[in-house]
Amino acid sequence: MRRWPIAVGVAALGLAAGIVTLGIARDDPAYWFAASSTVASAALLGAGLALVAGGIAAALRRPRNRAGPLLVAAGFAWFALEWNNPGIGSALAFTLGLAFYASCPPFALHAVFAYPGGRVGRAGTLALAGAYAAFAGLLGILPALFFDPRTAGCAACPDNLLLVADRGSLADDLTRAGLLLGFVAPLALAVLLVARVARSSTGTRPVLAAGALYAVLVPVWVGASGDNGYLANGSVERLAWLGQAGALIGLVLAGAWARWRARHTRAAVARLVVDLAASPPPGTLRDRLALIVGDPHLVLAYPLSDGGRLVDADGRPVALPAALERTTLVGDGRPVAVLGHAPRALDDEQLARDITEAARLALENERLQAEVRARLRELRASRARIVAAGDAERKRLERDLHDGAQQRLVGLSLALRLAVSRLDEKAAAELGEAERELRRASAELRELAHGIFPAVLADEGLAAAIEALAEDGRVPISAHRLPEARLDAAIETAAYSFVAEAARIATGRLTVSAELSGERLVLVVDADGLDGFDLEALEDRVGELDGRIHAERDGDAGLKLRAELPCGS
Amino acid sequence: VRIVIADDETLLREGLARLLADAGFDVVGKAGTAEELLRRVELARPDAAIVDIRMPPGQSEEGLVAAQAIRAAHPGVGVLVLSHYVESRYAMRLLEEHPERSGYLLKERVSDVAVLLDALRRIDEGECVLDPTIVSRLVGRPREASALDELTAREREVLALMAEGHSNDGICRLLFLSPKTVETHVRHILLKLGIGETADYHRRVLAVLAYLRG
Repeated sequence: MRRWPIAVGVAALGLAAGIVTLGIARDDPAYWFAASSTVASAALLGAGLALVAGGIAAALRRPRNRAGPLLVAAGFAWFALEWNNPGIGSALAFTLGLAFYASCPPFALHAVFAYPGGRVGRAGTLALAGAYAAFAGLLGILPALFFDPRTAGCAACPDNLLLVADRGSLADDLTRAGLLLGFVAPLALAVLLVARVARSSTGTRPVLAAGALYAVLVPVWVGASGDNGYLANGSVERLAWLGQAGALIGLVLAGAWARWRARHTRAAVARLVVDLAASPPPGTLRDRLALIVGDPHLVLAYPLSDGGRLVDADGRPVALPAALERTTLVGDGRPVAVLGHAPRALDDEQLARDITEAARLALENERLQAEVRARLRELRASRARIVAAGDAERKRLERDLHDGAQQRLVGLSLALRLAVSRLDEKAAAELGEAERELRRASAELRELAHGIFPAVLADEGLAAAIEALAEDGRVPISAHRLPEARLDAAIETAAYSFVAEAARIATGRLTVSAELSGERLVLVVDADGLDGFDLEALEDRVGELDGRIHAERDGDAGLKLRAELPCGS
Repeated sequence: VRIVIADDETLLREGLARLLADAGFDVVGKAGTAEELLRRVELARPDAAIVDIRMPPGQSEEGLVAAQAIRAAHPGVGVLVLSHYVESRYAMRLLEEHPERSGYLLKERVSDVAVLLDALRRIDEGECVLDPTIVSRLVGRPREASALDELTAREREVLALMAEGHSNDGICRLLFLSPKTVETHVRHILLKLGIGETADYHRRVLAVLAYLRG
């Protein structure tokens, strides 16, 4: 609360300084920079007041950041440029003018470097120190110590309160050195700032860009005066000065815009908190975060608890494109979610923290759901692999029985038959019986192999296999509209197993029909009666393929079974 | 009768060759693969080829495909396919296209000498042959109320023999009936089942099979 009176005082002081400065300049238009036109007057007042106001606002918002006081100082220094004017009348103001007329650039550029989130760095520190030395020291206080305006020929000038000794040539030398250093140092700062603009986030980029523009215009200003030996108000200098006024106003406006943007984002985060309390449907979280971050292509992914593989809200694996920057939202020391976004869209660490805080529960909730879905997916895939492996194994077994055991039996009975023809009648009769026994065994083996896996299914497909099922079924089976086209082996096997299981337990007529519509195979089995119907066993067979079974009573004992199998293509 | 035998199992191939030689057949070629079979048939131009349905490389139905190829390329060469598969569908693939001089028996018939030799003889005479087991499955399969229920036991017997590919003469011999009686049975059966009468023997077999499979 104590800060407010100070703020009001500084603001009043700044306004007064501005008005006084404008008055001085207007009184003596031949001198200095501002008074040549209305535009110049507006630039003088606008830039100075903008710096003071922006500085006050920054200081109030972030008391510990140096940017605020530095901007205020820059504002006063901006006005002080006009105060070493003979017409100022006051010795104190005149002396302040002598000491600080050139000090705006180091203060303003220092403020830009100190802007929240930015670090000055070693090169920056060196260049800033150079700028202070040049503009406040060599061009300001140091020559003021040795400059007596009267001996320099200004009879109307007020007293220089800082005067230590009248050594006009030393003051000139110091000023010359100041101009040289004042050309180099801001140029170095300009280079540093341009490099920083390229790496900056959306919010801070305009501020840095305005600062860089200002930093470029200062050496132009200083350089144009190089030949004079002092900071003059020639035409180039005036243009550079006007440009600086624009850059400084832009700097303050950019700061205000960044501030407004941050506040807007924060308001969106706050709304998010409120909205999330009403538990939104899954998937909407991403859209909300995309709005807040300002990246419509934002990818929201969740790390699985084991190993941190990334999945989306549905549990499907997500690969973040390499072009996206990753920001991991951390809650309770654990990664809760990973955001993939356009580079620098989310380099405000505070915003990432705010989002995490606001959406923590919702994110955690969605992450857990995603985790469950991912596990379910894995489970289903592994079940599909198990069933497929079982089918493959049965297929192999069927093949082995046919090509191995049965082939042997047939060969053996043939050998017996050949032997029989060379034996006497009694032995032939006995062996003949054995041979017939072998033939029966062979037939039984064939039935067994067929039961393990119907080769016709692999050879000719679903329709043929169901037709064969009808031939050896215990109950009448009629089939309609079965797809003659070959389907994926897993689909065919699942569909066949479904029908075969129904046929196995059927107590009456069975009608099978099927419809293949693009991505789904729908099988309908109408059973007059089923004995020991186990929906779960059937579901096991189609569930691995993400299929569904629906059973519905049909008359007294009848049952209508409907299986839907996704065919993929 | 000149025969070519194709089976990838040596024991079976040689045993079958001996059995047929003993029975008075002239075995003029033996093959272990479908490709070799086609070559042997091309060279020896036998009266019939005995073909195992499962042969290298795929061990699924190469023999059936080869048999169809032989029937298409050499109308004078009969084929007898030996198969593990009891489903009528495989047999129908062969018989539907080339019913004359084609036969389909289950593998275990190789030692059932009477059936095997009868089949070869009938194929040589131009008939078509379907395994009795397959036919009895078709006749006996559970079905809803149908015209089959109206047949007498004797008529069902005759129907089964028709489906196996036997001619009227053959049926007479097997059932010890007079040609006239058999003709009457056949006429009644076709009438009851609603199958149009046809003089063509092969068309009759296919019509009966189509009815039984339908």
